[in-house]
Amino acid sequence: MKQNDLLQRRLLFVVGKGGVGKTTVASALALEAARRGAKTLLVEVDGVGRAAQVFGVSVRPPGEVAPLTPSLFLMNVEGSAALAEYLMMTVPVKRVLQGVLNSRIYQYFVAAAPGLKELMTIGKIWFEANRTDTAGGGVWDIVVVDAPATGHSLQYLAMPQATFDTFTSGLVHREASRVVELLQDPERTGVVLVTAAEEMPVNETIETYRRLRSDLHLPSALLVVNRFHQTALRSADVEALERRLESEASVASREFVDEVLRRAREELGWVQINERYLQRLREAVPLRTVVLPFLFSEEFGLDEVKRLSAQLAAEVAETKARPAKGGKA
Amino acid sequence: MSNALERVVETHQVIVSAGSGGVGKTTTAAAIGLYGARKGRRTVVLTIDPARRLADALGVGELRGGEESAVKGDFAGSLTVMMLDQKSAWDALVQRHAPTPEIRDRVLDNRFYQHLSQTFAGSQEYMAIEQLSELYAGGRFDLIVIDTPPTRHALDFLEAPRRVADFLDRQIIKWFVKPYVAAGWATVEVMNRTVRFLMRRLEDATGVSVLVEVSDFFTAMSGLFDGFQERVQRVYELLQAAETAFVLVASPEEQVLAEAEYFCRKMSELRMPLRAVVFNRAHFEFEAIGDSPAQRDVAMSTLVPDAESRQRLVDNFELYEVLARGDAVRMESFRRQLPRRVAVAEVPNFDTDLHDVSGLERMHPFLFGK
Repeated sequence: MKQNDLLQRRLLFVVGKGGVGKTTVASALALEAARRGAKTLLVEVDGVGRAAQVFGVSVRPPGEVAPLTPSLFLMNVEGSAALAEYLMMTVPVKRVLQGVLNSRIYQYFVAAAPGLKELMTIGKIWFEANRTDTAGGGVWDIVVVDAPATGHSLQYLAMPQATFDTFTSGLVHREASRVVELLQDPERTGVVLVTAAEEMPVNETIETYRRLRSDLHLPSALLVVNRFHQTALRSADVEALERRLESEASVASREFVDEVLRRAREELGWVQINERYLQRLREAVPLRTVVLPFLFSEEFGLDEVKRLSAQLAAEVAETKARPAKGGKA
Repeated sequence: MSNALERVVETHQVIVSAGSGGVGKTTTAAAIGLYGARKGRRTVVLTIDPARRLADALGVGELRGGEESAVKGDFAGSLTVMMLDQKSAWDALVQRHAPTPEIRDRVLDNRFYQHLSQTFAGSQEYMAIEQLSELYAGGRFDLIVIDTPPTRHALDFLEAPRRVADFLDRQIIKWFVKPYVAAGWATVEVMNRTVRFLMRRLEDATGVSVLVEVSDFFTAMSGLFDGFQERVQRVYELLQAAETAFVLVASPEEQVLAEAEYFCRKMSELRMPLRAVVFNRAHFEFEAIGDSPAQRDVAMSTLVPDAESRQRLVDNFELYEVLARGDAVRMESFRRQLPRRVAVAEVPNFDTDLHDVSGLERMHPFLFGK
């Protein structure tokens, strides 16, 4: 497989367990792509508006584009809205269609049809990744998807292949095959696995990596280990202080000293946990790995995302820079 | 330190541990269960996906969905852990209620059923509640602690049963078991040609003749779903009852708390009894007790003569103080919006992950007081 620059690909899926910082990493990647001049779409799937919150914009209805910077845009994609949009595009009689969309039987159908919402979600993302403007150029240089929590993500990513396998000919087969082709192409698509170096997320990440490889045949491109505790502290610092406290009969400012010690133990404890699970990851997931630091900040906001974005940038930019935009239009 | 959660556990029979994913719901549920068992209650913890090491430590690592296991230990009462698995819970429901083996097999082989039982949004939540009401009715336990599924949104747990109930609504089902529906869209006379065309196209896009499968499923299951609305109603009544307490678990992070806030609001709209909030993995500000920064410097210099080592220790202290300040602001503003009788417990971030009984016990003083 050719190891090209992550941000040269057209479509990135950022997947991971809830709470590990998926939105942060997706936002950071999107920011960096935009900074390099790529027209970037950040997609939140079935979102509760987390990305919007990070960038401080209001949540828009599904399918609507919200500008974040001159070259970075945000969109919330949701299955039933995508299906409605698809039907609106392909069915000429709008009046009839509205009636159908509002009917209970239609809503029932959408809820009941196996994988329909997932398929339409991926279909919509595919549509955006391939969307062209009137001049025939691509609307987006890169689409970064902040995918739902892992279990859900895999269901989404499996749908096009399942559809492709179900139909052996016809329109649906052709459409599904184009989607599968894009998803499985390591030149154009990459899956970014995000995790924290703790037990639950690491177990899930190893499982996800295995499934992406052997069941879904999707190109995993990068492993991001987020919230990694790195410290200047040494265990000798703690041990020396502990020994001293044991031998002293009375200690001034005892509460303060105890708290200094407690916090040092906490930090060293998490460094140890993080290192142990990073080691496990390195053994089980042979992917290019970026480690992002745990940030000690009062509030985690856009500034923190930008800091991580700069770190990611340095790590993913080892290969050549993106060619000038005119090159591919 | 808050010990108000002690009363909540003492005075309720059902404890629901709720919250968004990755905040420590499972760990909190296990810690509450352990406490109940120590206090002499016959306790069961219904869990969904515990961390492997915690499951191993409790001796339930090999447990499959629907199975239960007694945790060995020094309990005045008893502690049972039960695993929830939505697929096997649905299968059990079908096995229990299918009138004949033929119908049972027909349902289990039905593609729509397989999809419903594995992926239908809310069926896992629904099954958790279904299992809860069964445990409650069984009377073997006097404390039931239920860990809720890892939803994208904490609220899904509350809304799912209603959604499943609407989905299995008798009126709709009646419509689906009519013979002309069972034959597929082509014969649905009530719809005009355009609609039929559209629906057929949708079926093509999804790969199954949904209508036929759905109809077949409901025809086979019609007996089971007769009392469905009433059953869901009873489950809601149990959730709203005086013996039930919801414990909302949240980490003091912006996005988690934003979701938690919405959850609280929705709880009161739905008249669900929110009784406690647990802030998990929190950092606390240092409260100076009468000494000045200069005195602290002197104390540290005496204890740690090595200037570099001292600097590292103090720097680390300051970094954690930054975290603590943020956590304090967020927890305080969250607290202010809570009704006064909601108990609040703050559990610190420990220096290790909690993966065994002694780890769970470290949470106890913060949850229940000394």
